[in-house]
This record gives sequence, C-alpha cells and structure tokens, in this order.
Amino acid sequence: MIRHQAEALAGRLPPLQVQAERIAATVAQGLHGRRRAGQGESFWQFRRYQQFDEARHIDWRRSARGRDVFVRENEWEAAQSVWIWRDSSPSMRYRSRRDLPEKADRADVLAAALAILLINGGENVGLLGEGMAARGGRVGLNIFIESIAVSDGGTSAPPAEPLPRHAGVVLIADFLEPVSVYRASIAALAGRGCVGHCLQILDPAEEGFPFAGRIRFEGTEDEDPHLLRRADRVRGEYREKLALHREELKDLTATFGWSFTTHDTDQPADAALLALYGALSRTVVWE
Amino acid sequence: MLALGSLAFANPWMLAALAGLPLLWLLLRVTPPAPRMERFPAIRLLYRLRSEEETPDTAPWWLILLRLLLAALVILAVAHPIRNADEAFSGVGGALVIVVDDDWAAARRWNDRITVMEGLVDRAERDGRPIFLLRGTWTPDDERPLDRPLTPAEARSVIKAMQPQPRPVTLETLSTALETAPPPSPADVVWLSNGVLDPGEARLTTQLRRLGGLTVVADDAKGVSVLVPPTSAGRTVEVEAARPAAGIVEPITVRVVAGDGRVIANAAGEFAAGEPRTKIEISLPVELRNDIARLEIEGETTAAAVALLDDAFKRRPVGLVSDTAFDGKQPLLDELHYLERALSPFSEVTRGTLSSLLRGGASALILADVGIVPEGDRRQLKTWIEAGGVLIRFAGPRLAAASLDTKGLGLEDLVPTRLRGGDRALGGALSWARPLSITGFSPEGPFAEIAGYGDVVVRRQVLAEPAIDLDERTWARLADGTPIVTARRQGEGWLVLFHTTANPEWSDLSLSGLFVDMLSRVVGLGAGHAGARAGETLPPLETLDGFGRLGVPPATARGLSIGEDGASPEVGPKQPPGYYGTQAGRRALNLAIDPAKLLPQPVPPSGVAQRGYASGEELDFRPALLSAALALFLIDLLVTLIMRGHLTARALTAGGSASRSLGSVMILAVVLAGLTLVPSPARAQAEDREHDDFAMKASLQTRLAYVITGNEGVDVVSGSGLSSLSDVLIRRTAIEPNSPVGIDLEIDELAFFALLYWPITPDQPPLSGEAVKRVNAFMRNGGTILFDTRDQFEGGSSSGGAGMRRLRALSRDLDIPPLTPVPQDHVLTKAFYLLNDFPGRFTGGQVWIQDQRDGTANEVTPVIIGSHDWSGAWARDQTGRFALPVVPGGEIQREMAFRFGVNLVMYALTGNYKADQVHVPSILERLGQ
Repeated sequence: MIRHQAEALAGRLPPLQVQAERIAATVAQGLHGRRRAGQGESFWQFRRYQQFDEARHIDWRRSARGRDVFVRENEWEAAQSVWIWRDSSPSMRYRSRRDLPEKADRADVLAAALAILLINGGENVGLLGEGMAARGGRVGLNIFIESIAVSDGGTSAPPAEPLPRHAGVVLIADFLEPVSVYRASIAALAGRGCVGHCLQILDPAEEGFPFAGRIRFEGTEDEDPHLLRRADRVRGEYREKLALHREELKDLTATFGWSFTTHDTDQPADAALLALYGALSRTVVWE
Repeated sequence: MLALGSLAFANPWMLAALAGLPLLWLLLRVTPPAPRMERFPAIRLLYRLRSEEETPDTAPWWLILLRLLLAALVILAVAHPIRNADEAFSGVGGALVIVVDDDWAAARRWNDRITVMEGLVDRAERDGRPIFLLRGTWTPDDERPLDRPLTPAEARSVIKAMQPQPRPVTLETLSTALETAPPPSPADVVWLSNGVLDPGEARLTTQLRRLGGLTVVADDAKGVSVLVPPTSAGRTVEVEAARPAAGIVEPITVRVVAGDGRVIANAAGEFAAGEPRTKIEISLPVELRNDIARLEIEGETTAAAVALLDDAFKRRPVGLVSDTAFDGKQPLLDELHYLERALSPFSEVTRGTLSSLLRGGASALILADVGIVPEGDRRQLKTWIEAGGVLIRFAGPRLAAASLDTKGLGLEDLVPTRLRGGDRALGGALSWARPLSITGFSPEGPFAEIAGYGDVVVRRQVLAEPAIDLDERTWARLADGTPIVTARRQGEGWLVLFHTTANPEWSDLSLSGLFVDMLSRVVGLGAGHAGARAGETLPPLETLDGFGRLGVPPATARGLSIGEDGASPEVGPKQPPGYYGTQAGRRALNLAIDPAKLLPQPVPPSGVAQRGYASGEELDFRPALLSAALALFLIDLLVTLIMRGHLTARALTAGGSASRSLGSVMILAVVLAGLTLVPSPARAQAEDREHDDFAMKASLQTRLAYVITGNEGVDVVSGSGLSSLSDVLIRRTAIEPNSPVGIDLEIDELAFFALLYWPITPDQPPLSGEAVKRVNAFMRNGGTILFDTRDQFEGGSSSGGAGMRRLRALSRDLDIPPLTPVPQDHVLTKAFYLLNDFPGRFTGGQVWIQDQRDGTANEVTPVIIGSHDWSGAWARDQTGRFALPVVPGGEIQREMAFRFGVNLVMYALTGNYKADQVHVPSILERLGQ
C-alpha cells in the first residue's frame, strides 16, 4: 500500500521537478553569488597564507607552484530561509480551456521552480502550512517537492505558522477571497518581520470574462450560485471589480512592504518565476 | 372526411387543435429557456452584478417558431391528410361493391384500374365496410362465391392477382348469378367499365342501381382497336382493323412479327373519318410471308389487337394426283418426279388418288397431263376449287389427244380457257419455227416479279382459243405472245393451266429454276390447311393473356376440340386464345372480336354517377408529417442541449452525464422513428415458415436426398441406405453429410441438393407438371439424379424389368439427355476409389449416364440410371446389421457397393475434378519437380 502510494508519488514527481528545473534553469543564468569570500562550496579566490589561517585551508596544489603558500577561499554563502505557500484550495483547480494548465498546476510548478532556484542559490526552503522546517540542499529540495505533490485541498489563505524572524515568504494564490481574509494572514506574517511577495495566478477567463448569454454560475468552494441573464452585458463591470480587488490587494501588500504581482495561466511560467525571484533577491536577501 | 381540392383529411376535427397554437406561442414566450451552467471560481466578484436589461427572458424567436411548427405538424399528422383520396362513392353507405370489367378491352389501362380498385379498398377499409368484388368475366366455375364479402386484405390480394382475361366480359352470366346471390343492399357500387358495349350491360346496370348508388368509372372507348385475323393470304395479306366508334381520322400501324419476335414489316393505314373499319394490305415476298407468326396493332396492348397466324398460313399441302403407284424405274421421264422435286422445298407433297387427296385436305392439287377428268371427280374438284383450292394442270400428249378428240376443250373440262384441239410444235425437222422462250409475265399475275429466265425454251405446247378475256387470263407468254400459263378464278380458288409438260418432253421449263418459282407462287395462292383433323382435340401450347402476350397456358386452359366441320370453337374461359396442338402442327385460336359487335358503351342512364380514372394515386401524408415532426423534435432537443451547455465538443468527446443523456435521447428518437415509419409487420405465413424450415434444414448442411416413392418398404430402405452411406462417407472421406432427407417431388424444392437418389417402384404415380418443371430445372442446373430401377434380378437386360418400364413412363416429360453406358475412363470410376463396375444389391447390369462425347464432358451428368438397387446394399436395420442380402453375394460386393456410393457422392459434389487429375503429371513436370 505504502509502496503503491510511493510509486504513484514518484511517478508524479519527476514531471513537476523536471518542469520546475527547466523553468529554473532559464532564470538561473542571470544570477550571481554574493561576490565575497566566505563559507560556501564554490571557489572564490586564492589568498596568501596568514598566521590565523588554519593549516587545513592551505591549497597545496597552488602552493606547490611557487614559493608562497596559498590559502583557498570559497565564496561566502549565507543561507536564508524562504517559506513558500501556494494555494491548493478547490478554486485553484480551474481552467477555462483544455489547452491551459489549471491554476493549481501552474502554482505548483512555480513553487517548485522557485524552490530549485533558491536551493541552488544556497537558501533553505520550506513549504508553508506543512509544519516543516526550511531545509536546503538536494535533500531539502526533494522534501519540498514531495510536500507539494502530497499536500492538496488546503485553505484559501496562508495559515498562521510561527516562522523564524525575518524569513522570506512567497505566497502564490488566486487571491479571489475578500481582501480581509488575506489581511489577517499577511499581517501575522509581517508582524514576525517576514518580508514577502504575493503572486496572483488567474485564469484568462477570470481575467477577461468571455461569457455571454443566460448563465448560471456556480462557485468552486460552496459559494451560492448566481444567475446572469445576459452575461455579456456585465463584462465591463466585472473587469472593473476585478481591477478594484487587485488594487486593494496591492495596497494591502504595500502596507507591509510586500510586493504583489500577477500572472495568467496563458502566459509562460518563466516570466512569473523571474519576477518572483527578482523580487525575492531585492527584498529579502540584499537588504 | 373533409376535402380541400385534392387534399382530404381523414380526421378533420383534429384540425381544431390548430387554434391552440397561439396559446402555445404565448406559453413558449414566457417560459425562459433553462440557463447554461458554468463553474466559475471568481463568482464572488459576480454577486453584486446584474444584467442591465430588465426585459423578461424569452426563448429566441426561432426556437418558438420551431416548436410551433412541431406542434402544427403533429396536429396535421393526427388529422391524417390524404391527397387524391378516392371519392368514387355516391355515399349511400353499407357495403362496397366493386364491379370490374376484366376483359381484353380493360387491358389498355389496367394499372389505372388496379389503382382505382386499391384506392376503393383503402377507403372501404378506413370506413370499415365489407367489400364485394365482382368480375365481368365471372363464370359459374369460379370458386369464389359472389355473396361472400372480402376483408380488405383478401380484396387486395385478389386485386393484385387479377389479370385482364383474353375474352369478352360475360355480363349476362354475371347478372344471372346476381339474381340468386345478390350483394346486400344498400351498397355503394363502383363499376370499372371497359368502355365497350356488352349485350348484358343494360340488365346489369338496372340490377346494380337497385343496390344503391352506382358510379361508373368509365374509360372512353376511343382508341380501342381490334384486329380481325386474316383468313387466307394470297399475294398480299389483307387484315381488317376495327374501332368501336366511327370518329375522326386515326392512323393505325399493323406490325408483322415473325415467330422469333423479329418485326418483318410495318404496314400503315388509317381509319377514315366516320369509318369504324379499315383494311390494310401487307404485301410481302413468299419467303417472308411464311415467317409471319402474328400481326398486331402497334401501341395496343390488348389480346384483341393481336392476330396469331398458324400453319394454315404457311403450310400448303400439295397433292400430286396419280392413279398408279410410283414405279421408280424411270423417274426422269415421270412428270410427277419433276413436280415433287420442285415443290418439296416449300410445300408438303403427297401423292395419291384424287379422292384421297381431297379428303386429306390439300391446298393445291396438280394434275399432270390428264386428259378428260371423269365426271364425278370433276364435280368434286369444282366444289373444292370454289372453296379455295388451287388446281394446277399441266398439258401433255394426253391432254393434247383429248382436246383433239373433242375438237378443243371447253371451260367445263376444268381448263381456264378454251383450248384448241391438238398441240403446236415449235422447231423440229419439219418446221421453220424455233423453240421459243418464256418472256412475258402478266403484271397482274403472281409471276409479275419473276425475271431473268430467258434461256427457258418451250418446244411444244397446247394452244388457247383466242377469246376476249384470254389476255387477262394469261399469266405468262412465250416470246411470240402465245399464252403458256393461263389461269381463272373460280369462287375462292384458282384453276391454273401450264400449256406445256411438267417433264422435259415439251420444254426446258421443268429443268429450270423458273419452274420452282412459278410453282411456289401458284401454290401460295391456295388456302392453307392447319394440321388438325375434324374431331381432334388439341392441347393448349401457348396462350395469349389479356394484354396480348403469349405465355404458358393457364391451368384452366383445356384442349381445343375441332368441330366436325374443321372449325375451332369460340374463345372462352377454358379456351383462351393462343396456339393449340404441338410445335409440329399448331393451330391458332384468335380472340377475333367481331367488328359488328364492337360498339361504344352508351352514356349511362341518369342517376348513375360517372367519372374517369383518376390521374393521381392516393397519397397518405401522415408518415411524412410524423417523420418531419420527429426530425424537428430532435433538432429542438439538440438546440436545448446546446443552449444549456450540456452539449459541447468536450461533452461529446470526453463523455459524461451530458453525452449519456444525449445517448438516451438518441435511443428514444430511434425507437420513435421506428414506431412511426415501420409499417405494420406482415403476417408470417405458416406455409412459408414450413418451406423455410425445410430450406434451412436442407441448405445449412450437406445432405443426401432420396425421392419418396410412396412405397413404404422402399422408402425405409432408401432412407436407411443413404444414412448408412452417410456414415461411410463421414468415416472415410472429407464429406460429412447430415442425416438424409426424403423428398416429395410434388412439394419440396430440389435446389438445395446435389444428388437425388430416385428408386423406381412400379406403382409410382406420374409427376405433375410443376414437379416435372422442378426436376428438369434441377437437372439443368447441375443436379444429378440416380435412377435406380432395382430390377436387375428380373430381366437381367437393361430393357427388361418393370422398374425400367416404369422409369420410361415416369421420365417421359423429363429432359433426359442421350444416354451411354459409363465409359471405362469416366470420372465415376475414379472419383475416390478405382472401380471397374458398380454393383449394388445386384450386379451385372449396365449403368447409363449422359452421353458426354458431344462437348458436355465438363458437366456432371444429370442422370445416372442403373438397376442394381444400391440403397438395398447400403441399408442397415435397427440393430445395425445389413438389412438385405446382396446377390450373388459376398461382403466384397457390399464393400464395392459402398465404394460406388462414395464415388457417386464425390462425383456429384466435385464434378469432373478428378478427371483433371490426368494433367497432374504434366503440371508437375512444368513446375520442374
């Protein structure tokens, strides 16, 4: 039984991981290290041996080429923990056309890709809401991706979880619930000094409202159905309301110094990932 | 029934429902269509939104229209509209009596009549009225009683089977019968009249009017024309055509058809204005004239427009009068020899004494060089000539001597013109004159077209006494103008004299082709004689149907008894027109409507409704309307499904509840369509089922078959013999027959079997015509019959036993091909086992098969005839032991009998396949192996 589930999971993992890694690779090219020596894995520079250096740091190969003794210094890599949360509520399982991915799928891919990028960059990553610690390295990545694959059917707003202070937070969701729902969560997170970023993923149908005629709309999370007699007549009004909602969200995030970007499922995932990563780089790490 | 022009409604009150349509319109308008369902995560954003337009939701106008149309169609369908619904009733009610003139004159528009009748029956069925069907050609022999009503189904089948009869209607008989068994009154009577007057018409009209409303469906007799068959043919065939009413000028074409169906000639003529009859002359060369088999009026399809010609038209027996028996010693001097040689190619020549020839019915008699005809003979001859005979006399020494004795011969001496005494010699040692050639032919005479025999010379002749009418009596002259052939018409016949001899003594004529030409023309003048003798009865050979088509005689046709005076009886129910006799000697019986009796029907008396044959067929719109409504219903369903969003490309491909519901809708629709469109199931006939069972049994598996003889012992032996043979076949060969079948030749279809075992018993009844036909077809189509006469022990010779005699009697009508003993190398000897002879219970007899030396070697022989009682050798009793001893005996013989059986079945099933095996060595050689 367990083995069966494990296999089913393993079958689902690689595509997510592969997809995420592919997207991450396109973004990673533009990234750089901290550009100073420190604890890290990658080579930074050779430096003349000084008294306080430990003998084990001497690079004997380099030293043997000349008279001086050299010490190998690696680039400084400071691990920052970033908590990623993606909305896995039923409303995310929606797509308006067969050729589009569901919002939830796109959110999973983006979360995983972001995790890859971050872990490659030496950070620790954790999935918010799963009660897990942020971890780095290959193992951490595997755990993260597995968690994404396993967890489903969560709430529409990020759970309040005691995070380490000053951790980075990334929230990926459709943010279609009333703004007040998100205000509480974000306030709680920001209260712990977390700096975060919100990415709103929407389907093009939610964006453009292409419906016409007499339609009874049904919600995805037990909302009351709503009948529209001439759906095409309310298109403009709907768009205005959506824009207003976004405005409120933006204001909310800006209050806490967070950023807010949007992404539609009919656009490539890379752009959203780059934006996320860029925002993270700016706001979280190099403060 | 409500009628609007040609359109009528069977349930017109249902149309009132159409008034409800506007209500439906309103109802449909205020009921909005069900909305489409759409799942939408961002629904919270929609909650406050309202469509700006507050007008009520309505279905689109075209959908409402569609539904209204649907409702209208259903209402119309229920109202049952019919186009051209028959209105031929005068509306008295009660029973429906259909009187139909189903005679030759009705054949012209027969399909219209059938249509009208079927329409009437449809109508009567709708109204639930009993139907009486009276046929104008009714005779008391008809099985169907007049006073029993028919159900619509019965009436339909009677009408379908009805054919115009090739005889006039007998309304007198019908009305006499109606006196005793009248249909119930009141009744609506519809009389489908043929338009030709019948003597019994007035009486029947009164009688029918008494029943209730009478409607006469009339067909104007204009255009009916009949042909009076020509009685004899001289140089031209003259036929008379007649029409019932003298009217305008009307062209008419008579087609002359040969026996093989080829049109020899078309003769055009016309009815003059106001003239009911016309005569048409058809002139044809003698050779072609003899080919004429029938004359018919072009464009007419009735039996009365056809005149069949029989042998009387072609066969002209010629009698050569000779008092002495023919002595073959010096034939070249005998005049009759030359005559016989010249006549035999185109006539039937007999020799005999005058009185015997006259009794035998000759159309021409030849007296070669007879002087004075005795008084008694002369009288006989005169009457005979008056009746149409042609007497041909030849001059000669005896005639010349006679004329010399009596100082010339007068007309009373049976010569066409007065003759001078003695003869005239042309040429010779003591004469300056040269022999003269025959050059001039009278353009009026029968020799007019003869040309090109300038070399025929006449050396001696008898001379005609000059007379005023000599010129017109002369058919041929010599170069100097002397008559050489003279003729005189006497009554219906001719008296012809050749002024020279019929042998080469006086002229070259008898050595020349001219002689043949002249004789054939002269003989052709005579009336023909059909083969029949007075008092003889001729079986029907081919008969005309009402349409004037020749065909197989109906079962009711009886033989034609020739009266003492040689005349044929009248056409009647048992004597349809056609040919009677045998192929060798046919006699034609023609419908021959008397032109004097061919009169148009008078206008019916007042109070009788009259109408013509409706041009259109009754057309029921109900099925079409229901189908259309169903189609609209399906469209509506589809539209509704699409509008609700159940039916999208995704639903169609991915499946789901939507497509399931669609599926059930489709099934419902198909079922509905089936209910509306499929006609009520035809009643399965028990008889058919029985036939089908037999056919299935016989055709699903290979089975051996034997003929049930009616002799129980023989049949049991046949059955058990064949089943024992079947066991052997299963054990030893690839043939695995099922249990054998007994065949009743009178009932069962033979087409399913390849081999039929037919034991002959002395008491077997002869086959009926149907059975003979079936057996012949079986043999023709490749079936094989093994006739087993089982009488080898009796006679020992193949000509002997009772079985063989019975077989001869039984097979008289069967197409048994020429037979031969089985050749040594025949396939039957090597189809499976190699056999030298074919023993059964007996042995030593001859086995016969079709003589296949004439190129039929590739076929399976249709018959195998033997006398060895094979099934007796094969048969086993209940315990499995052989039932009968073999003679002379020994199990070897029984084994051989089985081997013959195996070979026989192999041969019947595989044909000459084994014969081809002889090529195997050469084929293998060619293949290089």
